[in-house]
Amino acid sequence: MIGGPSSAIQKQPKPTPPLPILLFNDECAVCRHIGHWVQRSAQRASGDPAIIVQPIGDNPATLRSLNPDLDIWDAYATIHILMPDGSMRLGGEAVAQVLRILPTTKWFAWCFDTSIFGFRPFQVVLNVAYAILSDVRPLFGCESCGKPKILRPLQWMTQWWKTLTRRKPRPIPTPHFSSLSAATRRPR
Amino acid sequence: MTSRTLAYPRPTPANSPSNAATQDDAIRTVTADTFAKLVLDAQGPCAVEFMSYGCAHCREIEPVLEQVAKMVEATEKIFRVNIAVEEELASTYQIQGTPTFVMFLNQNEVGRVEGPSPAVASVLAAVTQPFKS
Repeated sequence: MIGGPSSAIQKQPKPTPPLPILLFNDECAVCRHIGHWVQRSAQRASGDPAIIVQPIGDNPATLRSLNPDLDIWDAYATIHILMPDGSMRLGGEAVAQVLRILPTTKWFAWCFDTSIFGFRPFQVVLNVAYAILSDVRPLFGCESCGKPKILRPLQWMTQWWKTLTRRKPRPIPTPHFSSLSAATRRPR
Repeated sequence: MTSRTLAYPRPTPANSPSNAATQDDAIRTVTADTFAKLVLDAQGPCAVEFMSYGCAHCREIEPVLEQVAKMVEATEKIFRVNIAVEEELASTYQIQGTPTFVMFLNQNEVGRVEGPSPAVASVLAAVTQPFKS
C-alpha cells in the first residue's frame, strides 16, 4: 500500500525512548578509554546510539538532576549506569548492563544472568575483575585516582634515597595530595 | 559527545539539587562570583578547601571535613572551591594541587596546608591552627 492512511502513520517519527546513561570519570585515562570504546560500540545499525556515554563532570547539581540519589563522589569512585526506569547499577553490575546493551557484546551477556541456586558465577567473576581493575587503574594512567597502595612504599623509598643522595634534603611529599601537574584540570 | 533530549524526571524547584546542597552540606561551595563576598568580606575566620571532585584525596578527606566543619561551625566557616571550574581562583591563590586548605582572616591569607592526612585531628589542626597564633 502506497499513499494510504497506514503509510502516513508509518512516516510519523517515533518517540525516542529514553536511553541508559553511562557515567565515566573523564579525568582517568583508563575510564576515558573505556568510555570512548563504549561510545563507538554503542552505534546501532540504524545509526542511533544504544546508550548515552557521558563524563561525570564537575557539578553535583547536574548529576542529581539525572537522579536525585546520585552523589558525585560516588560517581567518581565507581562506574554508574543510570537506567531509564530511574534505577542505578554500579560497579560490575553496571559493566554487565553495558555489555547487555552494546550490539557487539549482547550475544554473550546472557551469562551474567545465569544463576545457580541464586549464585551468579559469571557476575561474581565480573565483579571481582572490576574491583581489581578499579584498584590498579592508577598503574594504567589514571591521573586522578591517587597512587595504588602497593606503590606507596616504593615511592617513599625512592624519595628517602633521593634525600640521602642530595646535599639539600627535600621533604617527602605528602601522600594525600594530588599535584596539579598530574592533571586535575583538563582542556575545555 | 552524543546530544539527546533526556526523558528523565527533572527535580521540582522545591527539592532542586542546589537547594538540597545548601541545606545538607556543612561546607558551602563558593565560586569566583561569591568568593569576595563570602570569604574575603567575612567577619570571622574562614577556611577554603581548593578541591576537585575527580581527586581521590579530596574524596577521602570529604567526610572528615564535613565532620570538622560541624565541629567548628560556631567559630569558623569552611568553604570549598572546585578548581576544575574555578581555574582563575586557583591561579590567583597559586594552588599547586588538591586538596589545599587556605585560611583567611580579614581579607588576608593567614595559613595554608596542602594535603593533610584524612583524619579529624589532622584536618581540625589544619583549619584552626593559623587562627590561634
